[in-house]
Amino acid sequence: MEFGPIWRAMMRNKGGYLLIALQIAVTMAVMVNAFAIMQERSIKMSRPSGIDDANTFSLVSVGFKPDMDAKTLVQEDLDLLRGLPGVVNAVETNSFPLRQGGWSEGLHREPGVGKSVSSSAIYFVDEHGLDTFALNLVDGQNFTPDQVSWDSDSPDFWPATVIVTQALAEDLFPDHEGSYVGKTFWFNDENPANIVGVVERMQAPWPTWTGVERSMLVPLRRESEFARYVIRTEPGYRDELMVQVEELLSGSNKDRIIRGLGSAEEARKLSYLGDAAMIKILSFIVVLLTAITGLGIVGLASFSVARRTRQIGIRRALGATKPAIIRYFMLENFLVSSVGVVAGGVLAIGLNIVMVQAFALTPLAWYVIPVAMIVLWVVGQAAVAGPARRASAISPAIATRSI
Amino acid sequence: MLNMKNVSKVYRTDTVETHALREFSLIVEEGEFVSVTGPSGSGKTTFLNIAGLLEDLTDGAYELDGRDISKLNDKERSRVRNEKIGFIFQSFNLIPELNIFDNVDVPLRYRGFNADERKRRIEQSIEMVGLGSRMQHLPAQLSGGQQQRVAIARALAGEPRFLLADEPTGNLDSQMADSVLDLLAEINAAGTTIIMVTHELGLADRARRNIFVRDGQVSDNAPELHLASMAAG
Amino acid sequence: MFRYYLKLGTLSIRANPMLSALMVAAIAVGIGACMTIFTVRHVMSGNPIESKNDQLYHVQVDNWNPDDPYEEPDGAPVQVTYLDAKALFDAGRAFRQTTSFKTSRVVQPDGDDARPYQEDARATTADFFPMFDVPFLYGAGWDRASDETQDHVVVLSRELNEKLFGGEDSVGRTLMLNDEAYRVSGVLDTWNPVPKYYDVNNNPFEAPARLFLPFSLAIAGSFDNNGNTSCWKPVEEGSGREGFLASECIWIQMWVELQNASARQDYMNFLNAYVEEQKLLGRFPRPLNNHLRTPSEWMKYNEVVDEDVDVLLGLAILFLVVCLLNTIGLLLAKAMRRAKDTSLRRALGASRAELFKQHVIEAGMIGVAGGALGVVMTWFGLRGIESIFIEYEFMQHLVRMDWSMVTLAVVLAIVSALGAALYPTWRTCNITPASYLRLQ
Repeated sequence: MEFGPIWRAMMRNKGGYLLIALQIAVTMAVMVNAFAIMQERSIKMSRPSGIDDANTFSLVSVGFKPDMDAKTLVQEDLDLLRGLPGVVNAVETNSFPLRQGGWSEGLHREPGVGKSVSSSAIYFVDEHGLDTFALNLVDGQNFTPDQVSWDSDSPDFWPATVIVTQALAEDLFPDHEGSYVGKTFWFNDENPANIVGVVERMQAPWPTWTGVERSMLVPLRRESEFARYVIRTEPGYRDELMVQVEELLSGSNKDRIIRGLGSAEEARKLSYLGDAAMIKILSFIVVLLTAITGLGIVGLASFSVARRTRQIGIRRALGATKPAIIRYFMLENFLVSSVGVVAGGVLAIGLNIVMVQAFALTPLAWYVIPVAMIVLWVVGQAAVAGPARRASAISPAIATRSI
Repeated sequence: MLNMKNVSKVYRTDTVETHALREFSLIVEEGEFVSVTGPSGSGKTTFLNIAGLLEDLTDGAYELDGRDISKLNDKERSRVRNEKIGFIFQSFNLIPELNIFDNVDVPLRYRGFNADERKRRIEQSIEMVGLGSRMQHLPAQLSGGQQQRVAIARALAGEPRFLLADEPTGNLDSQMADSVLDLLAEINAAGTTIIMVTHELGLADRARRNIFVRDGQVSDNAPELHLASMAAG
Repeated sequence: MFRYYLKLGTLSIRANPMLSALMVAAIAVGIGACMTIFTVRHVMSGNPIESKNDQLYHVQVDNWNPDDPYEEPDGAPVQVTYLDAKALFDAGRAFRQTTSFKTSRVVQPDGDDARPYQEDARATTADFFPMFDVPFLYGAGWDRASDETQDHVVVLSRELNEKLFGGEDSVGRTLMLNDEAYRVSGVLDTWNPVPKYYDVNNNPFEAPARLFLPFSLAIAGSFDNNGNTSCWKPVEEGSGREGFLASECIWIQMWVELQNASARQDYMNFLNAYVEEQKLLGRFPRPLNNHLRTPSEWMKYNEVVDEDVDVLLGLAILFLVVCLLNTIGLLLAKAMRRAKDTSLRRALGASRAELFKQHVIEAGMIGVAGGALGVVMTWFGLRGIESIFIEYEFMQHLVRMDWSMVTLAVVLAIVSALGAALYPTWRTCNITPASYLRLQ
């Protein structure tokens, strides 16, 4: 059995084969691009936040009596939290990585309000911030207690020292080599900030932001009836402490409410809900698509066998063995699949170019194409196997029968 | 009635040109029963296809019932087939999913008769071929002779002027064949023109006139010559 | 003949049950995938205030950084400063106007044991309710005078009224919010616009606020802004709340109602004159860049529909294409198998047109079945999406199928099936009458 006669026989009935090839081609284009998106999303979702996601949780205290002493209340709360067994450390801050709400600032290398050169997420903390978030300090040092200042509830004051992430430092001073500690940048025309420490990583609150790796710790406490606490626990203590802390704080003062209790893991999950959904939906589509294409091949091959019953009988009568008949159909399918996957490769790349332009997708990795080709070849061969076996079971006696 | 003048039919593929009919001329009068014989590949089937408007002719003129067939479009040709011509095939060509009643109904549907008229004609023609008790049967439940009778009923239900039969007894044993031929003779006696293509001389003799086709043309030779040709071919 | 062809179609479908089931399933799955995504997109791109789309306008004025536009290349800020919100509101040059922002209040229910809890609130003005056709169950919004006098009045959502007052007519009753007493002026009927068009800057796909109270009161009481605040210029140091209100920070949504094109033109002229006047005072360093956008324009401008939905829709359409190619192949195989039947019908007098009708009607039947099953598939698809987004409660409002979607699904299925049938039918109609009659 050779390719030549099979190919020539196919060319005499192009329409049907062309349809299968086209179907395989479009299937492959969708498969490859869906896979490229899934891959992109899964890389995005696996980026570390820089904090100890598994052992961190957060809640918010909102005071609602006009004459509340916020400063004292926050200090009492923090003393209480830090003293609880199982708590490693706690801090009052405005947000935490992947919370999807926070503060960002444009930054300048020179004083003045011109065009900013970089931007960063801001986390207001005291000297316990570094430890509570379990950040990896790679250069410089933590804030000292006297570097932490207090401010009223307005965004009009900036302390002179900050701890930045490696990514932010590199973005601010792209040409600088060596330590970033001691470098200065400006929040605006008159507020310089001196880098005292660099941490390896701490993500911004917004997972979709292109600058998600750029953030900084600012040693500022704000006197407000609104206070968010972030608490890190010993491994295994988180869930029971979440319940305990909420009860403790709710009961300690009737002039405020406790809300927004949730773990960093839950926040992470919510942050990537859309990405996780994309992956699930796309895998579903790819599986379904492959199944439909496979079933289509089964259906068409069955037809082809039924239509060629007499022809197959004649071949058998002329001495073709059962394996030879099976091989005929397998080879035929292989040829159609080959045309399909080659066209599919072209189509997939074309579609990817369109998607990269329209939706800022990462271009697909080259190896996805050969992998998809092999998958579709295998699917085609598997689909045609059944009908081919049935064809091989046709009796040679068919040839001599007149009706 | 049927008037073919210098009709040619050429089949072309990329490499081969086959002249199935060359300058074929024939006149059949109303009420005739004509048999067409000839060796395999002589063009008799092509003649039948053209006579029945199943195929276009390449060249020449064909008038049926005084109408120039070559000028008709698909819809008009379909109409002529439907109204004026009845077909009987060697392999019966009944639709296996449809019962006897519905098989006979097929051409009447395309004719556009109302339901009562169709029912009357279907029943009448099935009664005529002697299968009145089998109307709800499927073709597979009938013998070959019975199936061919159904095909004849289907051909007659539209009351055509022309009956074209292509080896009508080719798949039947001699007893069944005789009864089918008797039926055809009866139909002819009632006024329907019949043209029957066959390679069996015994059948051809049942017709009132014999045409012998060779190499795509009507041969002028007498029947004794086809004995020789049959022996040779 | 139509009924005859229906009968022939039924017979043909019954004669090839597996094949017909495969075709119906392929169309249904393709339609299901497309319609699931399209339904979500349809809801997300809806305009709940369609009826007033030509009268409502979101206001944009460009007070941004001269060296750095709000959005490249020359996009104007999407919110306004307090300075401009107040000045434009006080000028009162539109038929109706409203300034608002997202905030929250701590609700203190009656009774010593009842725990206080926080609720989303919207600080807004009296015109908000009539402008956006907000439906009331009891009472009404406050009158314009309360916008001036900072009255402690509040409008409750239907759900909150049920929670607080058991669903009774609570108009005139007192409600404690952050230790201050408010008079209930009205209770809304069920109102859940999707998208939340009046504030698309702060998540267009969330439930509306459950409390509505006067803007002026919220300003005077320094209520927190729970929405986005963006500043290009620092607030003057040490100036506190006053400084923030006088800053170039944007955080307020402003809408106006203008009844016709000339009113719109007048208002645009007024905006331009206002900005020119402010330029003389040293504000608005960028070129004139004012915009009045209708709700539908505004939602489009803010790209309310997530890009992922478009990506999925594109892939779902290709998925449908595969399903249809599949159907074409199967129909073609079926047509080839029936060539003898077709050939015979031609001989018996069926014209091409009649055969065409027969096959189109049969394909239509497959399409109707595929469409009906497709609607079911879409329903399951939407439930699937809902379960994937189980943590995002609002998703339930985005996966609702309405009759227009059901109709579209069926129509799309029929059109697809007919489209798929074109090539096989064309092949069928070109079968010459004589070709198969002698075959055994």
